[in-house]
Amino acid sequence: MDEKLVPVVCPYCGVGCRLYIRSSDGHPLGIEYANDIPGISNENGKLCPKGNAVLEYVLARDRLKKPLKAKEQGKFVEISWSQAIKEVAERLKEYSKDDPNSMMFFGSAKTFNEPNYLIQKLARMLGTNNVDHCARLCHASTVSGLKAVFGAGAMTNTYRDIEEANVIFIIGHNFAETHPVGFRYVLKAKERGAKVIVADPRFTRTAWFADIYLQHYPGTDIALINGLIHVIIEERLYDEKFVRERCTGFDELAKTVEKFTPGYVEKITGVPADLIVQAARTFATGGKGVITWAMGITQHTHGHDNVRLLATLSAICGYQGREGCGVSPMRGQNNVQGACDLGVLPNVFPGYKAVSDPEGRKFFEEFWGTELSGEVGLTVIEAAHAIEKGKVRAYYVMGENPVISDANTNHVIKALHKLEFMVVQDIVPTPTMEFADIVLPAAAMLENEGSLTNTERRVQWSFQAINPPGEARPDWWIVSEIGKAAGFTGDGPKGFNYSGPEDILREVNACTPQYRGITPERLKANLAGIHWPCPSEDHPGTRVLYKERFLTSDGKAHLAAVEYRGPAETPDEDYPFLLTTVRYVGHYHTLTMTGRSRALVKRWPEPLAEIHPEDAERLGIKTGDWVKIVTRRGEYPIRAKVTRTVKKGVIAVPWHWGANVVTNDALDPVAKIPETKACACKVVKITEEEARELMKKVPPVIPEIEIVRG
Amino acid sequence: MTRRILHVDYSLCIGCETCEGVCDFIHGGRPNIKVYYTITGIPVPINCRHCEKAPCMDVCPAGAIYRDSDGAVIINPNKCIGCLMCLAACPFGVPTFDVKLKAVTKCDMCADRRRLGTAPACAEMCPAGAIFFGKPEEVEEKVRRRTAEKIARERLAAVNLEGVGRML
Repeated sequence: MDEKLVPVVCPYCGVGCRLYIRSSDGHPLGIEYANDIPGISNENGKLCPKGNAVLEYVLARDRLKKPLKAKEQGKFVEISWSQAIKEVAERLKEYSKDDPNSMMFFGSAKTFNEPNYLIQKLARMLGTNNVDHCARLCHASTVSGLKAVFGAGAMTNTYRDIEEANVIFIIGHNFAETHPVGFRYVLKAKERGAKVIVADPRFTRTAWFADIYLQHYPGTDIALINGLIHVIIEERLYDEKFVRERCTGFDELAKTVEKFTPGYVEKITGVPADLIVQAARTFATGGKGVITWAMGITQHTHGHDNVRLLATLSAICGYQGREGCGVSPMRGQNNVQGACDLGVLPNVFPGYKAVSDPEGRKFFEEFWGTELSGEVGLTVIEAAHAIEKGKVRAYYVMGENPVISDANTNHVIKALHKLEFMVVQDIVPTPTMEFADIVLPAAAMLENEGSLTNTERRVQWSFQAINPPGEARPDWWIVSEIGKAAGFTGDGPKGFNYSGPEDILREVNACTPQYRGITPERLKANLAGIHWPCPSEDHPGTRVLYKERFLTSDGKAHLAAVEYRGPAETPDEDYPFLLTTVRYVGHYHTLTMTGRSRALVKRWPEPLAEIHPEDAERLGIKTGDWVKIVTRRGEYPIRAKVTRTVKKGVIAVPWHWGANVVTNDALDPVAKIPETKACACKVVKITEEEARELMKKVPPVIPEIEIVRG
Repeated sequence: MTRRILHVDYSLCIGCETCEGVCDFIHGGRPNIKVYYTITGIPVPINCRHCEKAPCMDVCPAGAIYRDSDGAVIINPNKCIGCLMCLAACPFGVPTFDVKLKAVTKCDMCADRRRLGTAPACAEMCPAGAIFFGKPEEVEEKVRRRTAEKIARERLAAVNLEGVGRML
């Protein structure tokens, strides 16, 4: 028996923890903690409950093992790989000839950099920029907002800087629950004496560790941040030298925030005025400050503005370009950063070169040896609307689950029904797969190798630990075969001839300036990885961005002055509550992975809607009662949990089990992210039977697919 | 005999239930450390304290409970008669009756792992670093150092925030 320890990267969140898989002849025996690799993001090899259960979903019984073709909706016959690839390539080629913009490609933040690079290359070589991925639903606002202020959309610092900070402002981010291992850095900073300020509509696990806790209403972030900036400017606590030398737009900012006095902000947000003053003073005088945020900030119709304001707050305090400072948007998936970097976005090529910029386009036209479209493509939610109008007719979905993850599920399902052709490439059956014409079985992350970029821009190599089940193949192989079958057989970057992920990463090195020095050889030798930008092979990587200048055209931070806007939908007589979505530490996104993990399902078996005791009493609801959450878009049955962690008038629902049937798909005008964090709803007590009836209408998170004989 | 203690610092717990998860895995679906949430929502992991004057050991009529060389209080399932006197005597309500085994089980401070020279799984894995394992003086040292820093911090915070981060 050939037993070995394979170093991999955890397939869950953006922290990018390392661990070993003990395997024998491609069969997993167990996990081992990577407590012997210095410099990794999970010190001493610590893992959270999901990390400890990584093997369970890989070994799920319903893993896809053969390519499938739909006979009718939800019924499939098995086909061979050559047949599947031929059919997909031919269909894509037809659409490409007809109208390339009638196709939509979904990359995935859950797979390696290499297949993501390939899928956007395939889309673009077929003539469309309609390529996007789930970052649209989580950190689209971060990418656009940070780009507007600082010139690039990434975390400006690393975990080590969080540990070294004197004041940490956590807003719209349940750090302890979403990134438990990363939260250790906050705890260590706190042990050192750092102050922790938490702003969240819910009294979360993160809030337990706050020195100052600000509980604002969902969707009132702009007012809250403007209020903090108001106090900082009013009391002249900002870094005048930094503002003078490295920022523009300060006067306008000062004028805009003038009216956001603590008293005024208290009225909008419900946060006591003196707490706002205290938080502003603590943050501005800390000397070294970090701001972290996640979905609570980004998933709003004003997500782009929220992010710009946070970046502004950080800049006026002079918390940029230094160690122990910076802004840290926390990515949800282990490769969202990488998928964004490599251009799986409708508006940019790899390395964030705008598709509308002729110079950048020319570079890629020469590099890939084909003509490229300069028209900005469609985003995830826009694509669903474009199907209805008949503009989009084909979907290629790689490792995504829009039926559960997109806001306003009922609308998405209606749209998917109308699609002519849909390819789903995934590891397990998902509710999205029901609508597929062709299903391509992919290898899971631990079953193939490649590079991944975690939330702190750390690129790491994950090795293959296990053999994929049946005929499941690595994502990069599938996309490159389709590329070849579609006729892109040129040499090097001009075609899709690759012998392995290393080849693809070398091509990425050649066309993406940030990744230039991050070669596969270097990554394999250095398990702790390299932080981009890394411009050459002897460059050690960059820990803190913007030490000298920002990446904007004039090198300065463009401070944002933003007027207050609330959520797109506010409570009214018919829908008196404000609904917000949350998540659990033991579950992951659309449950395709954790839902197949017995240990995790046992501990976190079902969602519970959190409701304030006074509201609950008025409606006659007790903990454990069934209720239905009703919005203008749908109904969702769930059991209630009466708790003071939410404010009066606010309902918090975990979204893993398909709660997006009720959320709002109103979009941020710039980032095009749907507002899943705030919408108006009503709560109605129902019986268990009614709940069961309703449950049938919600798409099942773990569907059973039928495989029939050809 | 090298004494080891397993100490949980409740003020550091983030309620992620990793301890319960890994314990569940190691002990075949029956975790010996369990996180309970108080009415205020604060998590409290409860596990065997391996008391120095263990009431369970004193009260066990079958003599099934003994202390091993690291100081862990262990139940021998072959001797246990399942009378649950240990549960009655335990101040933390730790002993659990295992219907299949027809005996009482509880935390054994990961005896199998200690034999291999590694720490109990919960201590090794806690992402918040809230579980300490080691010789009593080592653990006590860590706990006291933390307290000292807390006291110093409170004094500094009363002056201003400037001095923060310069400690140690």
